[in-house]
Formats: sequence, structure tokens, C-alpha cells
Amino acid sequence: MMKIYIDDREVHVEKGMTVFKAAENAGIEIPHLCYHPAFPPEGTCRMCLVEIEGLPKLELACSTQVKDGMKVHTKSEKVVEARKGVLEFLLAEHPMDCPICDQAGDCKLQDYYEEYGLFENNFSESKERREKKIRLGKHLIHDNERCVLCRRCVRFLREVVGTGEMGVFERGIATEVNILDGMPIDNNYSGNLAQLCPVGAITDTDFRFQTRSWFLEKGEAICPLCSRGCNIFIEHHRGFSRFDLPKRVYRISARENAEINSYWICDIGRYGYYSLDENRAEKIIANNNISIKNYEAVLAFFTEKIKRLLYKKKTSRITLLLNTFLTNEELFLLKKIFQDDLGIKNIFFIDPPAGESDAILLTSDRTPNKKGAEELGFEITPFELGNLADETEVLIIFGNYIAEIFSLSDIQAYFDRIKDTFLFTPHRSELDSKVGIMFPTAMTPEKGGSLTNVDGKIQKFSPVLEAPGDGKAEWKILAELGTKLDVNFKYYKKFLSPEEIFRQMQKEIPFFEK
Amino acid sequence: MLKQLGYFIEIIRGGIITTRHFSVNMFFHILNLFHIKTKRKGAVTIQYPEVRQKIAERHRSLHRLMKREDGKPRCVVCMLCATVCPSECIFIEAEEDPDPEIQKYPARFIIDISRCCFCGFCVEACPEDALRMDTDEIELADYDRDNLVYNLEKLLK
Repeated sequence: MMKIYIDDREVHVEKGMTVFKAAENAGIEIPHLCYHPAFPPEGTCRMCLVEIEGLPKLELACSTQVKDGMKVHTKSEKVVEARKGVLEFLLAEHPMDCPICDQAGDCKLQDYYEEYGLFENNFSESKERREKKIRLGKHLIHDNERCVLCRRCVRFLREVVGTGEMGVFERGIATEVNILDGMPIDNNYSGNLAQLCPVGAITDTDFRFQTRSWFLEKGEAICPLCSRGCNIFIEHHRGFSRFDLPKRVYRISARENAEINSYWICDIGRYGYYSLDENRAEKIIANNNISIKNYEAVLAFFTEKIKRLLYKKKTSRITLLLNTFLTNEELFLLKKIFQDDLGIKNIFFIDPPAGESDAILLTSDRTPNKKGAEELGFEITPFELGNLADETEVLIIFGNYIAEIFSLSDIQAYFDRIKDTFLFTPHRSELDSKVGIMFPTAMTPEKGGSLTNVDGKIQKFSPVLEAPGDGKAEWKILAELGTKLDVNFKYYKKFLSPEEIFRQMQKEIPFFEK
Repeated sequence: MLKQLGYFIEIIRGGIITTRHFSVNMFFHILNLFHIKTKRKGAVTIQYPEVRQKIAERHRSLHRLMKREDGKPRCVVCMLCATVCPSECIFIEAEEDPDPEIQKYPARFIIDISRCCFCGFCVEACPEDALRMDTDEIELADYDRDNLVYNLEKLLK
């Protein structure tokens, strides 16, 4: 342990730490563009200059290591003057097209100009014209005029992804960051480049010109598209009071979590948000001459069907099709109600087919909670249509992945023999007309709960969005079903939030205790 | 005694005011008739709507969108007007322009005049001078609410 002084504040640091890191730990912000905690310091932007007593010149905070008793000034007159100078040179070649730049609002250069600059342009020379629209890859557009040459993109591709599609070319004023000839960026992590860029040089075609960043609200969420459970921000628009917007969610960005996803997310998670707004089930659909309009009636009808079989002691005629998109709490309630209370053994899992995995983040499971289901004691038996034996009278399906895997005519043939089918799904599909009742449910960001990722890490989350239409979270439906079944009324009565269910889980299942 | 007169006292007071206005104005009109110049002029009723007064130069009236030299809208969809609008009556949707110098142009630009409070913040906020409120059109009443939602075509006119 060593002691250093930053802005006359005593800071305890370890050997080998940089001044920047020490200041960050002490809560002192030092402006920076090229420095990123995931990479070793580069020192190209020169924005992090600080004054160190005893040294003749200003030093870079990002690459200078601490020494015992060092006295650092981050806000002295000399430092502010130097930063102004650096900023002026950075802006000398910057096109200042903030009105059409997607980064405006999130832009570091804008922030620092607000803080240190607000000066007039002293250069009488006209700005160098460069290419403004270079297609870097599937989702990326590069604007060479806006680039400040921080090389974060180059370093990311070399050090994190390891593909190294980008490089720095030419020298002096002609320096530019670009892709190597004929090699567009085509890896599963390319979306991170747009988020990594401190200015608006690399922008995302998916978000390009959709809205402005200050309209968006950031909600903390967990990515549900593979079992890694990356931490994300869901950036959604609250909407205008007078005009309807085509969608709620505009962008997904990575949220830092050193234990799981560091600073990155993959493109599958980043661009997989369309399902939150497209083709959503909003209204209850009742077929086969059942006239049911509201949630209470569905629940009463549903409970009645199960109760009837329960009194006849024929609960083995109930088949349950689950998926591992359900949260720990929901799976726990399902296990409690159907497996423990009703003694049903016909519980199967039907998930979207597994995909490719890679060595960085993406796993082959395309659902977020397979590990959680296993820890809860479910046997993940994949479902075959043959499992719907002749005796099945009530079929309860969560999610509509059955329609993705089996052909509709096959499903129809089996469904015809079953008296009552209940479908709980967030999306519309052809299955809607084949089942007895389709009830809209909430998607993962629209409900609270917890998910267990592939390494067994339990992550809790709260709802970011509201379920559209009549949609309801599954845990709510299940907790109410539990009380209405009258098997164990008192037990389910207390489950008014996912928190309470989780607390009960901790009592019963040792895995969730930690 | 005065209380018993009730509203008659107000009627009498009103009559006095009207007579005062009439006689004062008449006095100046008569002076004017004899070409005697006075600082104050006698009041004249303008026969609106047949006769109209010139509106002050710094007035705020119906919005208009400015055009570039080639007739395209000057607006670059920075949405600062929509951001600053206190009555949330501006809605813009951007589209990609093939010209890399322009890049962004408005596919939809809607101002709901029925909600607009004519504060002029949108004009102040515009970095491109694309929006102005100097059309001299102040009679915007309509029988249909939908006609008060001005779209890009109407605003560019």
C-alpha cells in the first residue's frame, strides 16, 4: 500500500496502479477518449493530462504509474489550459455535424467541449474533407471526418475478438482508421464497436437516425437470448403524448459486469430486441366456442379444468410443456404446483433449437435459464409429439416454440385428440387458432425475477417495460393459480412479488441460498 | 342611498366612459378636420377582416419549413425542436439520404397546431434555420381537428 495525493486528497493505492485508475477509485474524473478500462493504455488522445509535482511537464494519467508520496493535480490552471489546447486540436478537424450525428448526447467530445472548451474556432484554414460514409460491416458505418483516432476499435478487434479487421493507415493529417481491403467486419461482436466509439465515427446502421439518444431511457436488464446472461441496458422511448411510435425499444447496449460479460455483448443479443415489439400477443384468444374475455375468467376456467381432474384423481392426464425462458421463480412455482401438489409427471421442455457457440460470450443454449431449471430439480426432457399420449386431456403450453420445431399439421393431429389446450405465450403464431385458449404473457424484460446463467450465477432483475395489452407475467398467473387450486392456499397466498417467491426458494433449495 | 341604486350606478358609469371616449376622439377628429396637428390622433376602427393591419415584424405565426437551393427541406432531423417543444406538438421521422453531405432528411414532419402554444422555442432551437414562424398566417381556426395537424407538405409550402 502506498499513499498518493490527488487534488490534495489522500488516496491509498497499490503498486503498479496508474494515476488514472487511482483517481477513478477516489471518485475523481479525468477526461479521456482513448483510454478504456478493458485495454492497456494507449495514450493517443492526450486528454488525460495531469500535473505531477516535481515533474517538469504534464504527464498522461492513463499511462503513468503511481509512486509513493506523489502529488497529482487534475484541475490546476495549467492542466485545464493544456486540455483546452488538446481539445482545440481535436476539434480543428472535427466536422461538428452534431445535428445529424447519432452519438450526440452520448458524445464525450461534446461533453468535454461543454466543460473545457466553449471557444471559437481559431483556425482560418478550412477543414480537411474525408469520406463520410464507409461501410465497415453488416451493422457499421464509419465517418472518417468525425474520427479522433483513439484506436479503441482497432484494439477491441485485436485484443478481445482477435480477428483484427481494422487498422490505422497513412500518417500525419492523412491518418485514418479503416478496414483492411476487402475484409468487412463480420464477427459476432461487431456491434460493440459503435458503443465503444467515444465520438460518432462508428455508428450502428440499426440505430442510425431512428431517434436521438436523449429521448431514450436506459433500463437495466439481463439478455435472455443465450445462457450466458449478459448484463444489458434496454434503451427504450417513453413515446410522445400525441404521436404513436412504431416501437418501444430502440437499442440494446452492454452493461458492465466484470464477472460475466465484461463490457461487451454479442450481436445476437444486441440486435435481438425486435421480438419485444413485433408480433406481440395482446388479447386473449378463445376458440372452440369458449367465450372468455378477461384474465379472471381465463384463470377461473383454467382452474376449473385442473380441479375437475384433481377430484377425479386423474391428474396424470395433464401434460405440461415448459421452456427455459421462464425465470427461476416461475419454474419454482410450476414445480410446486404441478409436480409437488398435483403429482404430474408429464412435464417436458421445449426450447428453441440450440445454435452455435463461441469462445467469448455466446453459448449454444438459446434460452437464459436452463441451468436454473436443472438446479430446481427438473429433468430437461426434450419433447416429442409422441409424448402426447392418448390419455392427455389437458395440455398446458408455455411459449410457442412447439410451432417452430414441429410442423403445424402434425401438431393439429395431436391437438385434435386433446380436450383442452392452454397456451401462455408472449407472441402471436399459427398456434393461436389451434389451442383452446391463448393467453398473452410478458417477456423477460417485462417481468421481475431471476435467471441462472450457464455458470450457475443467479442474477435478479426488475421489469424495464410493461407488457402490452392484457399481457401478464407468468409468475403472477401461477401464484394466483396456486391459491385458487385450494391445495395449499396459505403457501401461495404470500407470493405477491418475485422477491417473496425467491425467498421461499432460498428456504427450500440450497442452491439458491448463496 | 347609493346601494339602492344597484347596478344602475354601473350603467351610468359605463355611459360616462363611452361619452368620454366619444367626445375625446371626436375632439381630435375635429381638430384634424381643420388641419390642426396634434400629438394624439383620434381612434379609428379597422374594418377587419376586409381591412387588415400590418403585423409587427417580430411576430410569431404559422410555422414554415425552409428549403435548400434544390428544393429539399433544410431540416436535418436533429429533433431539437421536438425536444424543446413544451406542448410536445412536433413529431419528426428521419430517413437516410443517399447524398453523404446531407445524410439525414425528414420523411415525416408533423406539427400539431391545435396543441402549439406559439412560444417560438422550436425556431430558437433550430441550428439550421430550417423552421421559421413568419408566414403572417394567424387565422388558423378550422372546423376539423385533423386539418390542424400540419405535415411536411403543408409546412414546406
